[in-house]
Amino acid sequence: MNHQLAACLEHVKKPSRYAGGEYGAVVKDRQSVDVRFALCFPELYEIGMSHLGSKILYGLLNAMDGVWCERAYAPYTDMEREMRARGLPAYALESGDPLSDFDILGFTLQYELNYTAVLNMLDMAGIPFYASQRTSLTPLVVAGGPCVYNCEPVADFFDIVLIGEGEESLPELIQLYREARASGASKQEFLQRAAQIQGFYVPSMYDVSYNADGTVAAVTPKNGAPEMVRKRVVKDFDKAYFPDRFIVPSTDIVFDRAMVELFRGCRRGCRFCQAGYTYRPIRAKSPETLKKQARRLVETTGYDEVSLTSLSSSDYPHLEALCESLTADFEPRHINLALPSLRADNFNLDLMENVQKVRKSGLTFAPEAGTQRLRDVINKNLREEDLQNACRVAFGAGYNSVKLYFMMGLPTETDEDLLGIASIARNVLGNFRENASNRTRGVRVSVGVATFVPKAQTPFQWFGQIDRQEIVRRQQLLMDSLKIKNVTYSLHGWQASFLEAVLARGGRRLAPVIEGAWRRGSRLDGWDECFDLNRWLEAFEECGVDPAFYANRALGEHEITPWDHIFSGVTKQYLRGEYERSLRGEPTPDCKAGCRNCGALSLTGVKCDV
Amino acid sequence: MYKVRIAFQKDEPACYISHLDLMKALQRSLRRAGLPARYSEGFNPHIVLSILVPLSTGYRSRYELCDFDLTCDGLPPDLVPRLNGALPSGLTVIRAGQAVRPAAQAALSDFEIIWHGVRCADAMESALKNQLTVEKRSKRGSRQVDIRDYVRLYTLCEQGGDTVCRCVLKGGEDPLNPAYVTQAMIQEGILPEGTPVTYTRCAILDENGKEFF
Ligand code: SF4
Repeated sequence: MNHQLAACLEHVKKPSRYAGGEYGAVVKDRQSVDVRFALCFPELYEIGMSHLGSKILYGLLNAMDGVWCERAYAPYTDMEREMRARGLPAYALESGDPLSDFDILGFTLQYELNYTAVLNMLDMAGIPFYASQRTSLTPLVVAGGPCVYNCEPVADFFDIVLIGEGEESLPELIQLYREARASGASKQEFLQRAAQIQGFYVPSMYDVSYNADGTVAAVTPKNGAPEMVRKRVVKDFDKAYFPDRFIVPSTDIVFDRAMVELFRGCRRGCRFCQAGYTYRPIRAKSPETLKKQARRLVETTGYDEVSLTSLSSSDYPHLEALCESLTADFEPRHINLALPSLRADNFNLDLMENVQKVRKSGLTFAPEAGTQRLRDVINKNLREEDLQNACRVAFGAGYNSVKLYFMMGLPTETDEDLLGIASIARNVLGNFRENASNRTRGVRVSVGVATFVPKAQTPFQWFGQIDRQEIVRRQQLLMDSLKIKNVTYSLHGWQASFLEAVLARGGRRLAPVIEGAWRRGSRLDGWDECFDLNRWLEAFEECGVDPAFYANRALGEHEITPWDHIFSGVTKQYLRGEYERSLRGEPTPDCKAGCRNCGALSLTGVKCDV
Repeated sequence: MYKVRIAFQKDEPACYISHLDLMKALQRSLRRAGLPARYSEGFNPHIVLSILVPLSTGYRSRYELCDFDLTCDGLPPDLVPRLNGALPSGLTVIRAGQAVRPAAQAALSDFEIIWHGVRCADAMESALKNQLTVEKRSKRGSRQVDIRDYVRLYTLCEQGGDTVCRCVLKGGEDPLNPAYVTQAMIQEGILPEGTPVTYTRCAILDENGKEFF
C-alpha cells in the first residue's frame, strides 16, 4: 500500500472501506491486460458495494481476457480532506493506481443526488469535467444506470451513456475501444462509430435548441447519429451472465448478503415508478438457474443470507416452489433467505414462515397512498382489505411489527387522502388488538412518507412537484394526524426532494449548475449531514436557471421533453394514455391479465414472462 | 468436537479491519473453507468464535489468536491451507492446533513501534528513566498511570530516519495500548504532534515471556 494512503487511513473513520483487499476482489497483472476499466460508484463504499448490477458488471468485465476492472467509490468528507491535503489522487481499490491511469471510467448513475459526487471523483482524479475538454481517446468517461433515462443534466460530462442493461453493451464498448486504439482512430471517429450501436448515446452528437420560454425546441442528431437511442436489454435473461462470486466486504455495508435476481421488469405499472417502466420487458429466470446461482454464491462467498431480488418478489411465478427448495437446502446450513419487495395482495404466510425459519423479521408493505381513490390514480392496485388481511394473518402468527411506506404530494392528492394514511395505521393497530396471538408483546407500526418526485419516462412525467410551501403544509397535516400511540413516522425535509425533482426532469442547462454546486462544496447530497440546498440555490442563481421551471412545472402535452430522444421501450403514447387514465382515476390491469402493448416487447420480440 | 486455536498475521490491508468486522470476516472465511464449524444454539445461530486479544484498528500484527470449535474430532490436516485460501488479503494463518491454555494466560504483548521521520531514541531513553504519567482511559473511566508500570522490557534504536521501539507491554485485564507510549513522548515534547506511527504486534506472550499459544 502506498505511504500516502496509509497516512490518510490513520485519520479517517471506517478506514477499511478505502483499503481494498476484500475476499473476491480481482487482482491482475498490469502487464497482462490491455484495457483497464474503473467501475466508479459516486456514492460511499457501503452503498456502492451493496449494488447487484455493479457486481454483475465487475464479474463480467473481469471474465474478459485482457480486461482488468477495478472499483472506485466516493470518499467521505474526512477521507477527501486527508487525500487532498496529501495530494493523493482518486484511486481504484484493487491496484491503488490513480483513476487517471485508466482507459475507461464507467460511472453508474443510481440517483440524481449523486451527480456532484461524479464531478468530485473526476476532480480528485485530475480529469476535466466536460467531454469537450477531453480530446484524446483515453480516458473515456462513460455512464450507465437508471438515471440515464433522463441524463441530460449530466450529459455534457460523458463521452458515451449506455442506455439499458450493460451485459452485452459493455463488452461491445471495450471491443470498439480496442479497435479504435489499434487503428489510431481519433476520439471523434470512435464516437461516431459508437453512436451507430444500439444503446450507445453520444450526447455530443445531439444539438439541443430552445424556445423562448426555455422549453426544448428540437434535439437534432449530427454525423449520422440516430434520432432515437434505443435501450439495450438482455433477450434471454435466464442465460445472461451472472457472477460465480461476489466481493465479500470486510466491513458492514447496507446489503451484506448474496443476491440473485428473480426477474427484470414489473407487470404492475405503478404510474409514479420509473423502474417499473424502464426495466421492461418482463423477463424471469427459471427456478433451476436461480437455485444453481444461489447455491454457488453461498459456497464462494460464505454469506449466511441470500436475498431474492426483483421489483416485486411475490410476483415471481414459481416463488413458492423455489423458496421451499432453497430453504430445504439452506436451513441445515444456517443460511437465511430474504425476500424483500413483497406485496400485500398476494402475501402468503406459509411462504413468509418458510423463508423466515432461520430469522423472523418484521413485515413491510407499501400502500403508497391513503385512499382507494388515490391508489387508483397512481395505479397501485392494492386494496386496504388486502393489506389488513395480510396483517391479520401475520399478527395471528406472532408478528408484531409493520412498516408502511407512503408517498405524499401525488397528483390529485387532497387532504382527505393524506388523512387516510393515519386511518390505515389506526386500522392496523385495531387489527393487532383483535388478531394478535400474543398481545402482551405490543405492536409497532412505523410509517414512512416520502415526497413524490415526478420521473422521466413514466406516466407522471407530465406532472410538476407540489411547491415547497405546500409540501411543508401537507407534512404538518401528516405529523398532526400521525400522533398515535405505538405509531412512529418519518418524513423528510422538502429540500432534497425538490432538488431531486429538478434533476430528474432537467435538461442540459443544468450542467453548469451542477458544477457550480460542486464548486460551492456539494459532494454527497444524498446524505443529510452533507447536503445544503443553499449551495444549489446560489448555483441556480449564478447560472440564471429557475429550478422551479424543472421541478414544479407541468409539461405540455405536445412539449418536447429533454429525454424524448431516449427510448426506454415504453412508448410516449402509452405513457400519455396512462397519464390520462390517471386523471380519470382509472386503474390499468396488470400485464398478467393481458399485454397492454406498452411497446417494450419491441426490444426483445418475445412475450413477457408474467 | 474439537477446540481449535489458530495464530494468524494481520497485515496491510487487513490491518484496517476493526475487531468486530474481523470476527465476521473469520466466520465467513470458515464457511468458505468448508470447515465444519460449530454454531451456537438458539434463535439466531452463528459460528462461535473468539479473538483472544483484541487489537486496535490500523495496527499490524504478526501474531493474533483466534479460537473456534469444529464438530469433527481432531484437526483437519489441511486446515491451514484451506483457511488461507479463503481469507481476505492481509490475513494469513501461520499455525493451528488444539486450544488448551486458557486465554487468561495471555498476559503480555510484544509490540514494535515505529515513529517515522524522527530520530529521538536517546531522548526517549532518558525520558523512560523518570516517571511518565499518562491519562489512561478504560471502560471504568480514566486514571493517571505511570507508563513504566506497564512496560516490561524495551529496546530503542534509530533506523534510517525513523525511531524504533520494541517493547513488551502488559496485557490481560489491564492492558496498555502502545499508543500511550506515543502520547507520553508527545507530552514530554520529544515527539512532534502528528508524527506518523506504525504499530505492529510481534507476539502474544505468557507471564514468563514465552510465546503463548
Ligand atoms: S404491457 Fe405487454 S410488453 Fe409491456 S410489460 Fe406488460 S406484457 Fe410486457
